[in-house]
Amino acid sequence: MPEQNGPYFEDVDLGDEIGPIELVATDENVTTFCELWGNPMPNRFTSQEIAEKSGLPGPIVPGVMSMAIMSQALTDWAGPESLKDLDLVFRLPIPHNKPLFISATVIDTRQEEGNNVVECDVLMTGTAGERYVGGTALLSLPSSEEQ
Amino acid sequence: MTMELEYNRDLYGVEHEAGPFEITAELIQTFNRSIGESSPMYTDAATAQAAGYGGVLAPPTLVTMLVRNVELPDIDLKFGRMRFHAGQRVQSRAPIVAGDSLMASSHLKEVYPKTGRSGTMVFTVWETTFTNQDGVVVADVQESYASRE
Amino acid sequence: MYLDLHSHSVSSDDSRATVEQYVKWIHVLRSKRGYTIDGFVLTEHRKFDFDKDYSQLATEYDVLIMKASELDTRYGHVLVYGVTEGLAKDIDLGDVKMDARELIKAARHHGAIAVPAHPGRFGIGLVDYMDQGETFPDLEIVERVNGGSRAGENERAAALCDEHNYLGTGGSDAHLASHLGSCVTSFPTEVRNERQLVEALLTGDFSPVWLKDVN
Repeated sequence: MPEQNGPYFEDVDLGDEIGPIELVATDENVTTFCELWGNPMPNRFTSQEIAEKSGLPGPIVPGVMSMAIMSQALTDWAGPESLKDLDLVFRLPIPHNKPLFISATVIDTRQEEGNNVVECDVLMTGTAGERYVGGTALLSLPSSEEQ
Repeated sequence: MTMELEYNRDLYGVEHEAGPFEITAELIQTFNRSIGESSPMYTDAATAQAAGYGGVLAPPTLVTMLVRNVELPDIDLKFGRMRFHAGQRVQSRAPIVAGDSLMASSHLKEVYPKTGRSGTMVFTVWETTFTNQDGVVVADVQESYASRE
Repeated sequence: MYLDLHSHSVSSDDSRATVEQYVKWIHVLRSKRGYTIDGFVLTEHRKFDFDKDYSQLATEYDVLIMKASELDTRYGHVLVYGVTEGLAKDIDLGDVKMDARELIKAARHHGAIAVPAHPGRFGIGLVDYMDQGETFPDLEIVERVNGGSRAGENERAAALCDEHNYLGTGGSDAHLASHLGSCVTSFPTEVRNERQLVEALLTGDFSPVWLKDVN
């Protein structure tokens, strides 16, 4: 069994907050993501002109990529094997090259089918408090008693 | 009156398959680079092997990028001029590691109306199940698209 | 007492929060953050859950849980407190194009009260419709403080209240558990059920507050 770098189930309590973690999705990050994703470029995620034609102020971060970023914030905290369910609503277009803040709040802890489940609300916000993405996550954490 | 939606309901119950998708170490590394992922379990084969896996572990949302490779039919929704990605859910059922070969199977889950900040929208939800080379379901992904007037 | 008059559970299509998560969050607000909050109202979108009974949860966690509706109208969303079967027979709760004026009248006729939600919301709030010349002669109360508002929207709602002498409520508009209770309505009298909530609103003696500002 790998060494547990994240919290144990017993360490987590209702109301605990994770983050906010600040990061920026750069033009380069989005281009790399789109290349891998297979979305033909230029597109509204990489081109100012195409974004404007779609009614956007500028190129945006793909929803799929924002989910990957939020997932990363959660697995950084709880461990790479912890995330079991991530359910997100994309509320606003996410800009490139601007600070993004990812936070999570523990809203429930329970034991379910042999798993130690931690449920969180998760949010990605901007500098003015814009709620770009919101949703919930289920994480499974090891128990300190099992070590 | 409650809004009546016009679309192709015959699509319910029909599975649309794609694959195989080879999950290579290179694919995982490129995905990691695009989001700045650096966890050793996702980046270092020795760390993942010490934890009992055959190769580096794929981050749980990697499968969401594969969904666009499934050719989904037009549901022929008679509503809206604009369509955008409104939400996504990924449920991890089993670890995905470098060397796995995944098959995808998608179906229409639901279509429903909702009124929000920008007026009435209709949401179309597709659900995709990923299965590995051993027949083990490794993930389910739901994608929700909103059509707007 | 402090009541959050605007929240959505998974019974609404866009919420991820269960009622059980909400009552647990109330427990967090009380025990870990030191806030006083007495309960909340589930204002589900375009429906009223006549068949839902949360009394066991309410007793278990000592939280007042009430039910109401947030209905779509052609003039924005309207919260309706004190929904009765008679009201639900008279109006189609799912009609997204109903006239808010008719809803306000029908609600009062059936002992309920209609309160436009987030009137300052850009694009779909009452303020925009009133700016276009629409009038709402029977309107007395609007939601002045909404926890889901973007910058400037609550200020527009406050200006509307001040200009027309509308009374104002407060509610979080929570769609996630941890957003519940961010703002609430303060009542000097005790409210124990939906009927008493309507009575308390009709007295006009209440005010919207941010929970962090009152504890």
